[in-house]
Amino acid sequence: MSAALAGVCGYLGLGVLGLVLGQGKILALFALAGGIASLTVWAPGFPESLVGSLPFGVAVAGDPWALGIWGLALTLHLAVLVQGWLKDGLYHSLITVLVGTCLAGGISRDLFNLYVVLELSSLLSVVLVAKEGRSAAVWAALRYLLLAGVGMTLYLFGLGLVYGRTGVLAITSLSQTDFSEPSLRVGVGLLLSGAAVKAGVFLLGLWLPPAHGQAPTEISALLSGVVVKLGIVTLARIAEAFPIEPVLLSLGILTGFGGLVYALWERDLKILLGHHTVSQLGYMLIGLGLGAWEAALFYTVAHGLFKALLFLSAGMAVEAKGARTLAELKGGLPRPVVLGLALGTWAIVGLPPLVGFAGKNALSFASPTWAKALLQGLSLGTAVSFAKLFPLCKPEKGGSLGGIPFLAAGVVALGILGFFLFPGLLHPISWLEAFSLAFGGYGVHLFLGPRMRTLPRITFDWAVLWALISAFGLAFGLLLGTCWI
Amino acid sequence: MESLSGLALAVALAALGLWTMVTRRNVLWKLLGLNVASGGSILFLVALSHRSGARPAIVGLGPRPAVDPLPQALVLTAIVIHFATLALALALVIVLTERRHTQDVKKLEEEG
Repeated sequence: MSAALAGVCGYLGLGVLGLVLGQGKILALFALAGGIASLTVWAPGFPESLVGSLPFGVAVAGDPWALGIWGLALTLHLAVLVQGWLKDGLYHSLITVLVGTCLAGGISRDLFNLYVVLELSSLLSVVLVAKEGRSAAVWAALRYLLLAGVGMTLYLFGLGLVYGRTGVLAITSLSQTDFSEPSLRVGVGLLLSGAAVKAGVFLLGLWLPPAHGQAPTEISALLSGVVVKLGIVTLARIAEAFPIEPVLLSLGILTGFGGLVYALWERDLKILLGHHTVSQLGYMLIGLGLGAWEAALFYTVAHGLFKALLFLSAGMAVEAKGARTLAELKGGLPRPVVLGLALGTWAIVGLPPLVGFAGKNALSFASPTWAKALLQGLSLGTAVSFAKLFPLCKPEKGGSLGGIPFLAAGVVALGILGFFLFPGLLHPISWLEAFSLAFGGYGVHLFLGPRMRTLPRITFDWAVLWALISAFGLAFGLLLGTCWI
Repeated sequence: MESLSGLALAVALAALGLWTMVTRRNVLWKLLGLNVASGGSILFLVALSHRSGARPAIVGLGPRPAVDPLPQALVLTAIVIHFATLALALALVIVLTERRHTQDVKKLEEEG
Protein backbone atom coordinates (compact mmCIF):
# COMPACT_ATOMS: atom_id res chain seq x y z
CA MET A 1 0.00 0.00 0.00
CA SER A 2 2.75 2.46 0.88
CA ALA A 3 4.33 1.99 -2.57
CA ALA A 4 1.07 2.96 -4.29
CA LEU A 5 0.54 5.93 -1.99
CA ALA A 6 4.12 7.05 -2.61
CA GLY A 7 3.46 6.88 -6.35
CA VAL A 8 0.31 9.01 -6.04
CA CYS A 9 1.97 11.52 -3.70
CA GLY A 10 4.97 11.69 -6.00
CA TYR A 11 2.75 12.49 -8.95
CA LEU A 12 0.66 15.11 -7.18
CA GLY A 13 3.65 16.63 -5.37
CA LEU A 14 5.91 16.85 -8.40
CA GLY A 15 3.06 18.26 -10.48
CA VAL A 16 2.31 20.99 -7.96
CA LEU A 17 6.04 21.64 -7.55
CA GLY A 18 6.25 22.08 -11.31
CA LEU A 19 3.41 24.62 -11.19
CA VAL A 20 5.29 26.60 -8.53
CA LEU A 21 8.87 26.26 -9.75
CA GLY A 22 8.49 25.90 -13.52
CA GLN A 23 10.63 23.01 -14.89
CA GLY A 24 7.41 21.02 -15.40
CA LYS A 25 8.88 18.76 -18.07
CA ILE A 26 11.75 17.39 -15.98
CA LEU A 27 9.50 16.95 -12.96
CA ALA A 28 6.92 15.16 -15.13
CA LEU A 29 9.64 12.73 -16.22
CA PHE A 30 10.55 12.11 -12.58
CA ALA A 31 6.92 11.59 -11.68
CA LEU A 32 6.46 9.09 -14.52
CA ALA A 33 9.58 7.16 -13.48
CA GLY A 34 8.38 7.15 -9.88
CA GLY A 35 4.91 6.02 -10.94
CA ILE A 36 6.28 3.11 -12.97
CA ALA A 37 8.56 2.09 -10.09
CA SER A 38 5.64 2.26 -7.67
CA LEU A 39 3.46 0.17 -9.98
CA THR A 40 6.12 -2.52 -10.35
CA VAL A 41 6.42 -2.74 -6.56
CA TRP A 42 2.70 -3.06 -5.78
CA ALA A 43 1.60 -4.84 -8.99
CA PRO A 44 0.86 -8.16 -7.21
CA GLY A 45 -1.86 -6.19 -5.42
CA PHE A 46 -2.53 -5.33 -1.80
CA PRO A 47 -5.61 -5.90 0.35
CA GLU A 48 -8.00 -3.12 1.28
CA SER A 49 -6.59 -1.02 4.09
CA LEU A 50 -6.98 2.44 5.52
CA VAL A 51 -4.42 5.09 4.56
CA GLY A 52 -1.71 5.33 7.21
CA SER A 53 -3.09 2.24 9.03
CA LEU A 54 -5.16 4.47 11.30
CA PRO A 55 -8.40 3.18 12.86
CA PHE A 56 -10.33 5.55 10.60
CA GLY A 57 -9.68 7.15 7.24
CA VAL A 58 -9.76 6.55 3.50
CA ALA A 59 -9.90 2.98 2.22
CA VAL A 60 -7.56 2.05 -0.63
CA ALA A 61 -6.87 -1.29 -2.29
CA GLY A 62 -4.62 -2.63 -5.03
CA ASP A 63 -7.25 -4.65 -6.86
CA PRO A 64 -7.40 -5.43 -10.62
CA TRP A 65 -9.26 -2.16 -11.36
CA ALA A 66 -6.47 -0.18 -9.74
CA LEU A 67 -3.90 -2.17 -11.72
CA GLY A 68 -5.72 -1.54 -15.01
CA ILE A 69 -6.17 2.19 -14.42
CA TRP A 70 -2.55 2.60 -13.35
CA GLY A 71 -1.20 0.75 -16.36
CA LEU A 72 -3.42 2.77 -18.67
CA ALA A 73 -2.66 6.14 -17.06
CA LEU A 74 1.11 5.59 -17.04
CA THR A 75 1.19 4.40 -20.67
CA LEU A 76 -0.86 7.38 -21.79
CA HIS A 77 1.29 9.77 -19.79
CA LEU A 78 4.40 8.41 -21.51
CA ALA A 79 2.81 8.85 -24.95
CA VAL A 80 1.49 12.33 -24.14
CA LEU A 81 4.83 13.40 -22.68
CA VAL A 82 6.60 12.46 -25.90
CA GLN A 83 3.86 13.93 -28.08
CA GLY A 84 3.78 17.28 -26.31
CA TRP A 85 7.48 17.52 -25.48
CA LEU A 86 7.78 20.96 -27.07
CA LYS A 87 4.93 22.47 -25.04
CA ASP A 88 5.71 24.60 -21.98
CA GLY A 89 6.33 23.41 -18.44
CA LEU A 90 2.99 24.64 -17.09
CA TYR A 91 1.17 22.34 -19.50
CA HIS A 92 3.22 19.34 -18.41
CA SER A 93 2.71 20.14 -14.73
CA LEU A 94 -1.05 20.27 -15.16
CA ILE A 95 -0.97 16.96 -17.03
CA THR A 96 1.14 15.45 -14.24
CA VAL A 97 -1.39 16.47 -11.58
CA LEU A 98 -4.23 15.15 -13.77
CA VAL A 99 -2.54 11.76 -14.21
CA GLY A 100 -1.83 11.71 -10.46
CA THR A 101 -5.54 12.28 -9.84
CA CYS A 102 -6.38 9.32 -12.05
CA LEU A 103 -3.89 7.14 -10.16
CA ALA A 104 -5.49 8.19 -6.88
CA GLY A 105 -8.94 7.39 -8.28
CA GLY A 106 -7.77 3.94 -9.34
CA ILE A 107 -6.83 2.78 -5.87
CA SER A 108 -9.47 4.56 -3.79
CA ARG A 109 -12.41 2.60 -2.43
CA ASP A 110 -14.27 5.33 -0.61
CA LEU A 111 -17.23 7.26 -1.95
CA PHE A 112 -16.08 10.66 -0.74
CA ASN A 113 -12.53 10.18 -1.94
CA LEU A 114 -13.93 9.27 -5.34
CA TYR A 115 -15.96 12.51 -5.23
CA VAL A 116 -12.82 14.55 -4.59
CA VAL A 117 -10.96 12.75 -7.36
CA LEU A 118 -13.81 13.28 -9.85
CA GLU A 119 -14.05 16.99 -9.03
CA LEU A 120 -10.29 17.48 -9.22
CA SER A 121 -10.14 15.69 -12.55
CA SER A 122 -12.88 17.87 -14.01
CA LEU A 123 -11.22 21.08 -12.81
CA LEU A 124 -7.86 20.10 -14.31
CA SER A 125 -9.42 18.85 -17.55
CA VAL A 126 -11.31 22.11 -17.95
CA VAL A 127 -8.14 24.15 -17.54
CA LEU A 128 -6.33 21.95 -20.07
CA VAL A 129 -9.19 21.99 -22.61
CA ALA A 130 -9.44 25.77 -22.48
CA LYS A 131 -5.73 26.48 -22.23
CA GLU A 132 -5.08 27.21 -25.88
CA GLY A 133 -7.87 29.75 -25.76
CA ARG A 134 -9.93 29.12 -28.91
CA SER A 135 -13.49 30.33 -28.24
CA ALA A 136 -15.03 26.98 -29.20
CA ALA A 137 -12.73 25.18 -26.79
CA VAL A 138 -13.42 27.66 -23.97
CA TRP A 139 -17.17 27.24 -24.44
CA ALA A 140 -16.84 23.44 -24.53
CA ALA A 141 -14.80 23.61 -21.33
CA LEU A 142 -17.36 25.83 -19.59
CA ARG A 143 -20.17 23.47 -20.62
CA TYR A 144 -18.16 20.60 -19.20
CA LEU A 145 -17.55 22.43 -15.92
CA LEU A 146 -21.20 23.41 -15.46
CA LEU A 147 -22.59 19.97 -16.29
CA ALA A 148 -20.00 18.23 -14.12
CA GLY A 149 -21.01 20.68 -11.37
CA VAL A 150 -24.65 19.61 -11.68
CA GLY A 151 -23.62 15.96 -11.58
CA MET A 152 -21.40 16.39 -8.58
CA THR A 153 -24.13 18.27 -6.67
CA LEU A 154 -26.41 15.28 -7.21
CA TYR A 155 -23.56 13.00 -6.13
CA LEU A 156 -23.13 14.92 -2.86
CA PHE A 157 -26.84 14.60 -2.10
CA GLY A 158 -26.62 10.89 -2.79
CA LEU A 159 -23.54 10.60 -0.64
CA GLY A 160 -25.34 12.37 2.20
CA LEU A 161 -28.32 10.01 1.99
CA VAL A 162 -26.10 6.92 1.87
CA TYR A 163 -23.99 8.10 4.78
CA GLY A 164 -27.05 9.14 6.77
CA ARG A 165 -28.60 5.66 6.41
CA THR A 166 -25.51 3.46 6.74
CA GLY A 167 -22.93 5.54 8.61
CA VAL A 168 -20.09 4.34 6.36
CA LEU A 169 -18.57 5.45 3.07
CA ALA A 170 -16.09 2.64 2.29
CA ILE A 171 -17.19 0.35 -0.54
CA THR A 172 -16.59 -2.92 1.30
CA SER A 173 -18.59 -1.86 4.36
CA LEU A 174 -21.38 -0.55 2.12
CA SER A 175 -21.63 -3.90 0.32
CA GLN A 176 -22.67 -5.53 3.60
CA THR A 177 -25.55 -3.14 4.28
CA ASP A 178 -29.22 -3.80 3.71
CA PHE A 179 -30.29 -2.26 0.41
CA SER A 180 -34.03 -2.39 1.01
CA GLU A 181 -34.33 0.99 2.77
CA PRO A 182 -36.12 3.46 0.42
CA SER A 183 -34.02 6.53 1.20
CA LEU A 184 -30.84 4.50 0.67
CA ARG A 185 -32.13 3.53 -2.76
CA VAL A 186 -32.80 7.16 -3.69
CA GLY A 187 -29.32 8.02 -2.44
CA VAL A 188 -27.74 5.33 -4.60
CA GLY A 189 -29.72 6.60 -7.58
CA LEU A 190 -28.35 10.10 -7.06
CA LEU A 191 -24.80 8.77 -6.62
CA LEU A 192 -25.24 6.81 -9.81
CA SER A 193 -26.42 9.79 -11.81
CA GLY A 194 -23.59 11.97 -10.52
CA ALA A 195 -21.03 9.38 -11.56
CA ALA A 196 -22.87 8.85 -14.85
CA VAL A 197 -22.53 12.55 -15.71
CA LYS A 198 -18.78 12.25 -15.26
CA ALA A 199 -18.61 8.94 -17.11
CA GLY A 200 -20.35 10.41 -20.16
CA VAL A 201 -23.39 8.12 -20.05
CA PHE A 202 -25.82 9.10 -22.80
CA LEU A 203 -28.23 11.94 -21.96
CA LEU A 204 -26.28 12.72 -18.80
CA GLY A 205 -22.89 13.14 -20.42
CA LEU A 206 -23.63 15.21 -23.51
CA TRP A 207 -20.80 17.58 -22.61
CA LEU A 208 -18.30 14.90 -23.62
CA PRO A 209 -18.05 15.01 -27.43
CA PRO A 210 -17.50 18.78 -27.75
CA ALA A 211 -15.11 18.93 -24.80
CA HIS A 212 -13.02 15.99 -25.99
CA GLY A 213 -13.23 17.11 -29.60
CA GLN A 214 -12.23 20.73 -29.02
CA ALA A 215 -9.35 20.00 -26.63
CA PRO A 216 -5.72 20.15 -27.80
CA THR A 217 -4.38 16.89 -29.30
CA GLU A 218 -2.67 15.38 -26.24
CA ILE A 219 -5.46 16.45 -23.91
CA SER A 220 -8.14 14.77 -26.03
CA ALA A 221 -6.14 11.55 -25.86
CA LEU A 222 -5.76 11.81 -22.11
CA LEU A 223 -9.40 12.77 -21.49
CA SER A 224 -10.91 10.03 -23.62
CA GLY A 225 -8.23 7.55 -22.63
CA VAL A 226 -8.23 7.70 -18.88
CA VAL A 227 -10.07 10.64 -17.30
CA VAL A 228 -13.50 9.48 -18.46
CA LYS A 229 -12.60 6.02 -17.10
CA LEU A 230 -12.61 7.49 -13.59
CA GLY A 231 -16.37 7.73 -13.97
CA ILE A 232 -16.47 4.07 -15.05
CA VAL A 233 -14.36 3.09 -12.04
CA THR A 234 -16.75 4.97 -9.77
CA LEU A 235 -19.72 3.20 -11.35
CA ALA A 236 -17.91 -0.13 -10.94
CA ARG A 237 -17.28 0.62 -7.26
CA ILE A 238 -20.93 1.59 -6.70
CA ALA A 239 -21.99 -1.61 -8.49
CA GLU A 240 -19.72 -3.54 -6.12
CA ALA A 241 -21.41 -1.99 -3.09
CA PHE A 242 -25.05 -2.15 -4.22
CA PRO A 243 -27.00 -4.53 -6.51
CA ILE A 244 -27.60 -2.13 -9.42
CA GLU A 245 -26.58 -4.32 -12.35
CA PRO A 246 -29.91 -4.07 -14.28
CA VAL A 247 -29.71 -0.26 -14.17
CA LEU A 248 -26.16 -0.27 -15.50
CA LEU A 249 -27.14 -2.72 -18.23
CA SER A 250 -29.97 -0.52 -19.48
CA LEU A 251 -27.80 2.61 -19.23
CA GLY A 252 -25.13 0.78 -21.21
CA ILE A 253 -27.50 -0.14 -24.03
CA LEU A 254 -28.83 3.43 -24.18
CA THR A 255 -25.31 4.89 -24.14
CA GLY A 256 -23.97 2.53 -26.76
CA PHE A 257 -26.69 3.18 -29.31
CA GLY A 258 -27.26 6.85 -28.42
CA GLY A 259 -23.61 7.72 -28.88
CA LEU A 260 -23.52 5.68 -32.06
CA VAL A 261 -26.46 7.49 -33.67
CA TYR A 262 -24.79 10.85 -33.12
CA ALA A 263 -21.47 9.48 -34.36
CA LEU A 264 -23.02 8.24 -37.61
CA TRP A 265 -24.14 11.76 -38.47
CA GLU A 266 -21.03 13.65 -37.34
CA ARG A 267 -18.68 15.15 -39.91
CA ASP A 268 -16.03 16.75 -37.65
CA LEU A 269 -13.25 14.17 -37.14
CA LYS A 270 -12.41 14.85 -33.47
CA ILE A 271 -16.01 15.34 -32.37
CA LEU A 272 -16.84 12.09 -34.22
CA LEU A 273 -14.25 10.35 -32.04
CA GLY A 274 -15.85 11.99 -28.98
CA HIS A 275 -19.24 10.53 -29.90
CA HIS A 276 -17.58 7.16 -30.32
CA THR A 277 -16.13 7.45 -26.83
CA VAL A 278 -19.71 7.75 -25.55
CA SER A 279 -20.77 4.78 -27.66
CA GLN A 280 -17.82 2.66 -26.50
CA LEU A 281 -18.60 3.46 -22.86
CA GLY A 282 -21.77 1.51 -23.54
CA TYR A 283 -19.72 -1.68 -23.93
CA MET A 284 -18.10 -1.19 -20.53
CA LEU A 285 -21.44 -0.47 -18.85
CA ILE A 286 -23.01 -3.52 -20.49
CA GLY A 287 -20.07 -5.56 -19.18
CA LEU A 288 -20.59 -4.18 -15.68
CA GLY A 289 -24.33 -4.73 -15.95
CA LEU A 290 -23.85 -8.37 -16.92
CA GLY A 291 -21.60 -8.84 -13.91
CA ALA A 292 -18.62 -9.61 -16.15
CA TRP A 293 -16.31 -7.12 -14.53
CA GLU A 294 -13.13 -8.75 -15.84
CA ALA A 295 -14.32 -8.22 -19.40
CA ALA A 296 -15.47 -4.68 -18.57
CA LEU A 297 -12.07 -3.89 -17.06
CA PHE A 298 -10.23 -5.34 -20.05
CA TYR A 299 -12.41 -3.30 -22.39
CA THR A 300 -11.82 -0.17 -20.31
CA VAL A 301 -8.05 -0.49 -20.67
CA ALA A 302 -8.33 -1.54 -24.32
CA HIS A 303 -10.55 1.41 -25.18
CA GLY A 304 -8.23 3.78 -23.35
CA LEU A 305 -5.33 2.64 -25.51
CA PHE A 306 -6.96 2.62 -28.93
CA LYS A 307 -9.03 5.76 -28.41
CA ALA A 308 -5.94 7.64 -27.25
CA LEU A 309 -4.17 6.40 -30.38
CA LEU A 310 -7.07 7.58 -32.56
CA PHE A 311 -7.23 10.96 -30.85
CA LEU A 312 -3.47 11.52 -31.11
CA SER A 313 -3.48 10.68 -34.82
CA ALA A 314 -6.64 12.70 -35.46
CA GLY A 315 -5.18 15.66 -33.60
CA MET A 316 -1.98 15.45 -35.63
CA ALA A 317 -4.03 15.24 -38.83
CA VAL A 318 -6.00 18.33 -37.82
CA GLU A 319 -2.79 20.17 -36.95
CA ALA A 320 -1.14 19.14 -40.23
CA LYS A 321 -4.01 20.29 -42.45
CA GLY A 322 -5.48 23.09 -40.36
CA ALA A 323 -8.98 21.73 -40.99
CA ARG A 324 -11.35 19.65 -38.90
CA THR A 325 -14.02 18.07 -41.07
CA LEU A 326 -13.64 14.69 -42.75
CA ALA A 327 -14.14 16.15 -46.22
CA GLU A 328 -11.30 18.64 -45.80
CA LEU A 329 -8.94 16.05 -44.34
CA LYS A 330 -9.10 13.69 -47.33
CA GLY A 331 -5.69 12.58 -48.58
CA GLY A 332 -2.29 14.13 -48.16
CA LEU A 333 -1.81 13.25 -44.49
CA PRO A 334 1.60 12.36 -43.03
CA ARG A 335 2.42 8.64 -42.96
CA PRO A 336 2.56 8.11 -39.16
CA VAL A 337 -0.84 9.79 -38.79
CA VAL A 338 -2.41 7.48 -41.34
CA LEU A 339 -0.79 4.48 -39.67
CA GLY A 340 -2.19 5.56 -36.31
CA LEU A 341 -5.68 6.17 -37.70
CA ALA A 342 -5.68 2.84 -39.53
CA LEU A 343 -4.43 0.88 -36.53
CA GLY A 344 -6.93 2.60 -34.23
CA THR A 345 -9.79 1.93 -36.64
CA TRP A 346 -8.68 -1.70 -36.97
CA ALA A 347 -8.80 -2.00 -33.19
CA ILE A 348 -12.08 -0.15 -32.57
CA VAL A 349 -14.08 -2.16 -35.12
CA GLY A 350 -12.83 -5.28 -33.34
CA LEU A 351 -10.70 -6.97 -35.97
CA PRO A 352 -8.11 -9.54 -34.83
CA PRO A 353 -5.41 -9.64 -33.57
CA LEU A 354 -5.62 -6.20 -31.96
CA VAL A 355 -6.99 -5.29 -28.59
CA GLY A 356 -10.53 -4.43 -29.68
CA PHE A 357 -11.08 -8.01 -30.88
CA ALA A 358 -10.04 -9.44 -27.51
CA GLY A 359 -12.18 -6.91 -25.63
CA LYS A 360 -15.33 -7.42 -27.68
CA ASN A 361 -15.07 -11.20 -27.57
CA ALA A 362 -14.35 -11.23 -23.84
CA LEU A 363 -17.62 -9.32 -23.40
CA SER A 364 -19.59 -11.57 -25.71
CA PHE A 365 -18.28 -14.75 -24.01
CA ALA A 366 -19.80 -13.45 -20.79
CA SER A 367 -23.18 -12.46 -22.21
CA PRO A 368 -26.40 -14.33 -22.96
CA THR A 369 -27.59 -14.58 -26.58
CA TRP A 370 -29.74 -11.43 -26.63
CA ALA A 371 -26.89 -9.33 -25.23
CA LYS A 372 -24.55 -10.87 -27.80
CA ALA A 373 -26.89 -9.70 -30.55
CA LEU A 374 -26.93 -6.19 -29.07
CA LEU A 375 -23.14 -6.10 -28.89
CA GLN A 376 -22.87 -7.24 -32.49
CA GLY A 377 -25.32 -4.53 -33.52
CA LEU A 378 -23.09 -1.99 -31.78
CA SER A 379 -20.01 -3.38 -33.51
CA LEU A 380 -21.72 -3.19 -36.88
CA GLY A 381 -22.71 0.42 -36.23
CA THR A 382 -19.17 1.29 -35.18
CA ALA A 383 -17.86 -0.23 -38.39
CA VAL A 384 -20.41 1.76 -40.44
CA SER A 385 -19.33 4.96 -38.77
CA PHE A 386 -15.61 4.32 -39.04
CA ALA A 387 -15.92 3.52 -42.73
CA LYS A 388 -16.06 7.31 -43.08
CA LEU A 389 -12.34 7.40 -42.24
CA PHE A 390 -11.34 5.28 -45.28
CA PRO A 391 -10.77 8.24 -47.64
CA LEU A 392 -8.32 9.70 -45.12
CA CYS A 393 -5.96 6.76 -45.39
CA LYS A 394 -3.88 7.88 -48.35
CA PRO A 395 -0.45 8.76 -47.01
CA GLU A 396 1.62 11.22 -49.00
CA LYS A 397 4.56 12.34 -46.94
CA GLY A 398 6.58 11.47 -43.86
CA GLY A 399 6.11 13.26 -40.58
CA SER A 400 6.98 13.18 -36.91
CA LEU A 401 5.95 10.09 -34.97
CA GLY A 402 5.01 11.79 -31.70
CA GLY A 403 3.49 9.47 -29.12
CA ILE A 404 1.94 7.15 -31.72
CA PRO A 405 4.50 4.28 -31.44
CA PHE A 406 3.91 3.81 -27.70
CA LEU A 407 0.14 3.58 -28.05
CA ALA A 408 0.41 1.41 -31.17
CA ALA A 409 2.70 -0.94 -29.25
CA GLY A 410 0.22 -0.94 -26.36
CA VAL A 411 -2.70 -1.78 -28.65
CA VAL A 412 -0.82 -4.69 -30.23
CA ALA A 413 0.72 -5.98 -27.00
CA LEU A 414 -2.48 -5.96 -24.98
CA GLY A 415 -4.27 -7.53 -27.95
CA ILE A 416 -1.85 -10.44 -27.91
CA LEU A 417 -2.05 -10.67 -24.12
CA GLY A 418 -5.82 -10.96 -24.56
CA PHE A 419 -5.34 -14.29 -26.35
CA PHE A 420 -3.75 -15.66 -23.18
CA LEU A 421 -6.24 -14.06 -20.78
CA PHE A 422 -9.35 -15.18 -22.63
CA PRO A 423 -8.93 -18.61 -24.19
CA GLY A 424 -11.41 -19.14 -26.99
CA LEU A 425 -10.30 -16.11 -29.01
CA LEU A 426 -8.59 -18.41 -31.51
CA HIS A 427 -11.90 -20.02 -32.43
CA PRO A 428 -12.50 -19.48 -36.17
CA ILE A 429 -16.14 -18.46 -35.59
CA SER A 430 -15.02 -15.37 -33.65
CA TRP A 431 -12.66 -14.39 -36.46
CA LEU A 432 -15.33 -14.93 -39.07
CA GLU A 433 -17.80 -12.84 -37.06
CA ALA A 434 -15.31 -10.02 -36.61
CA PHE A 435 -14.45 -9.81 -40.28
CA SER A 436 -18.03 -10.12 -41.49
CA LEU A 437 -19.16 -7.35 -39.09
CA ALA A 438 -16.37 -5.03 -40.23
CA PHE A 439 -16.91 -5.60 -43.94
CA GLY A 440 -20.67 -5.59 -43.51
CA GLY A 441 -20.30 -2.20 -41.84
CA TYR A 442 -18.35 -0.91 -44.81
CA GLY A 443 -21.07 -2.17 -47.13
CA VAL A 444 -23.80 -0.46 -45.13
CA HIS A 445 -21.76 2.74 -45.20
CA LEU A 446 -21.48 2.60 -48.99
CA PHE A 447 -25.22 2.06 -49.22
CA LEU A 448 -26.33 4.62 -46.65
CA GLY A 449 -23.54 7.19 -46.99
CA PRO A 450 -25.23 9.52 -49.49
CA ARG A 451 -28.63 9.20 -47.81
CA MET A 452 -27.86 10.83 -44.44
CA ARG A 453 -29.89 13.74 -43.10
CA THR A 454 -28.88 15.96 -40.18
CA LEU A 455 -29.84 15.25 -36.60
CA PRO A 456 -31.11 17.86 -34.14
CA ARG A 457 -28.28 19.26 -32.04
CA ILE A 458 -28.57 19.02 -28.29
CA THR A 459 -28.00 22.46 -26.83
CA PHE A 460 -26.69 23.18 -23.37
CA ASP A 461 -30.03 23.90 -21.71
CA TRP A 462 -31.40 20.60 -22.92
CA ALA A 463 -28.30 18.83 -21.70
CA VAL A 464 -28.80 20.19 -18.17
CA LEU A 465 -32.49 19.42 -18.23
CA TRP A 466 -31.90 15.88 -19.46
CA ALA A 467 -29.23 15.32 -16.85
CA LEU A 468 -31.69 16.32 -14.13
CA ILE A 469 -34.57 14.30 -15.55
CA SER A 470 -32.34 11.24 -15.93
CA ALA A 471 -31.10 11.68 -12.37
CA PHE A 472 -34.62 11.72 -10.97
CA GLY A 473 -35.53 8.86 -13.26
CA LEU A 474 -32.65 6.80 -11.91
CA ALA A 475 -33.42 7.64 -8.28
CA PHE A 476 -37.12 6.84 -8.56
CA GLY A 477 -36.47 3.86 -10.80
CA LEU A 478 -34.30 2.38 -8.07
CA LEU A 479 -36.90 3.27 -5.46
CA LEU A 480 -39.70 1.53 -7.32
CA GLY A 481 -37.68 -1.29 -8.79
CA THR A 482 -37.76 -3.52 -5.72
CA CYS A 483 -39.20 -6.43 -7.64
CA TRP A 484 -36.53 -6.71 -10.33
CA ILE A 485 -33.40 -6.08 -8.30
CA MET B 1 -32.96 12.52 14.48
CA GLU B 2 -31.77 14.77 11.72
CA SER B 3 -32.78 18.38 11.54
CA LEU B 4 -35.81 18.13 9.26
CA SER B 5 -36.08 21.85 8.58
CA GLY B 6 -32.43 21.92 7.60
CA LEU B 7 -32.90 19.03 5.20
CA ALA B 8 -35.99 20.64 3.67
CA LEU B 9 -34.16 23.93 3.24
CA ALA B 10 -31.24 22.13 1.61
CA VAL B 11 -33.48 20.39 -0.91
CA ALA B 12 -35.31 23.66 -1.60
CA LEU B 13 -32.02 25.48 -2.22
CA ALA B 14 -30.84 22.78 -4.61
CA ALA B 15 -34.15 22.81 -6.46
CA LEU B 16 -34.04 26.59 -6.75
CA GLY B 17 -30.47 26.58 -8.01
CA LEU B 18 -31.02 23.83 -10.55
CA TRP B 19 -34.24 25.48 -11.73
CA THR B 20 -32.27 28.68 -12.33
CA MET B 21 -29.69 26.67 -14.30
CA VAL B 22 -32.35 25.27 -16.59
CA THR B 23 -34.46 28.37 -17.16
CA ARG B 24 -32.01 31.28 -17.35
CA ARG B 25 -30.14 31.78 -20.59
CA ASN B 26 -27.31 33.89 -19.20
CA VAL B 27 -24.19 31.96 -18.23
CA LEU B 28 -23.65 34.07 -15.12
CA TRP B 29 -27.14 33.23 -13.86
CA LYS B 30 -26.44 29.57 -14.53
CA LEU B 31 -23.25 29.80 -12.49
CA LEU B 32 -25.16 31.49 -9.70
CA GLY B 33 -27.74 28.70 -9.83
CA LEU B 34 -25.04 26.06 -9.64
CA ASN B 35 -23.51 27.80 -6.65
CA VAL B 36 -26.84 27.95 -4.82
CA ALA B 37 -27.44 24.27 -5.59
CA SER B 38 -24.03 23.24 -4.30
CA GLY B 39 -24.67 25.35 -1.21
CA GLY B 40 -27.80 23.24 -0.80
CA SER B 41 -25.76 20.05 -0.98
CA ILE B 42 -23.41 21.34 1.72
CA LEU B 43 -26.30 22.28 3.99
CA PHE B 44 -27.74 18.82 3.37
CA LEU B 45 -24.61 17.10 4.68
CA VAL B 46 -24.41 19.37 7.72
CA ALA B 47 -28.10 18.95 8.53
CA LEU B 48 -27.74 15.16 8.31
CA SER B 49 -25.13 15.13 11.04
CA HIS B 50 -27.34 17.08 13.44
CA ARG B 51 -28.80 15.24 16.42
CA SER B 52 -31.29 16.99 18.68
CA GLY B 53 -29.72 17.95 21.98
CA ALA B 54 -26.20 17.15 20.82
CA ARG B 55 -23.33 19.56 21.32
CA PRO B 56 -20.96 20.69 18.56
CA ALA B 57 -18.11 18.30 17.83
CA ILE B 58 -15.52 20.21 19.84
CA VAL B 59 -13.45 18.62 22.62
CA GLY B 60 -14.15 20.01 26.10
CA LEU B 61 -17.71 21.24 25.64
CA GLY B 62 -19.21 19.02 28.30
CA PRO B 63 -20.44 15.47 28.76
CA ARG B 64 -23.40 15.55 26.35
CA PRO B 65 -23.04 13.42 23.18
CA ALA B 66 -21.59 15.32 20.21
CA VAL B 67 -22.88 15.53 16.64
CA ASP B 68 -21.27 13.34 14.01
CA PRO B 69 -18.08 15.19 13.01
CA LEU B 70 -17.42 13.29 9.76
CA PRO B 71 -19.92 15.10 7.47
CA GLN B 72 -18.57 18.41 8.70
CA ALA B 73 -15.05 17.36 7.77
CA LEU B 74 -16.29 16.28 4.34
CA VAL B 75 -18.13 19.56 3.85
CA LEU B 76 -14.93 21.51 4.34
CA THR B 77 -13.39 19.76 1.33
CA ALA B 78 -16.55 20.21 -0.70
CA ILE B 79 -16.62 23.97 0.02
CA VAL B 80 -13.06 24.36 -1.26
CA ILE B 81 -13.91 22.41 -4.41
CA HIS B 82 -17.02 24.52 -5.05
CA PHE B 83 -14.98 27.67 -4.61
CA ALA B 84 -12.41 26.47 -7.13
CA THR B 85 -15.13 25.51 -9.61
CA LEU B 86 -16.79 28.92 -9.32
CA ALA B 87 -13.51 30.81 -9.72
CA LEU B 88 -12.47 28.78 -12.76
CA ALA B 89 -15.90 29.10 -14.37
CA LEU B 90 -15.90 32.88 -13.86
CA ALA B 91 -12.47 33.11 -15.49
CA LEU B 92 -13.81 31.19 -18.48
CA VAL B 93 -16.88 33.47 -18.65
CA ILE B 94 -14.57 36.51 -18.73
CA VAL B 95 -12.61 35.03 -21.65
CA LEU B 96 -15.83 34.21 -23.51
CA THR B 97 -17.30 37.64 -22.91
CA GLU B 98 -14.17 39.31 -24.26
CA ARG B 99 -14.11 37.13 -27.37
CA ARG B 100 -17.76 36.73 -28.23
CA HIS B 101 -19.35 39.77 -26.55
CA THR B 102 -22.24 37.71 -25.24
CA GLN B 103 -23.15 35.62 -22.23
CA ASP B 104 -26.27 34.19 -23.79
CA VAL B 105 -26.08 30.40 -23.97
CA LYS B 106 -28.05 30.17 -27.23
CA LYS B 107 -25.70 32.58 -29.01
CA LEU B 108 -22.63 30.85 -27.57
CA GLU B 109 -23.93 27.52 -28.89
CA GLU B 110 -24.65 28.83 -32.37
CA GLU B 111 -21.17 29.78 -33.45
CA GLY B 112 -19.07 27.76 -31.04
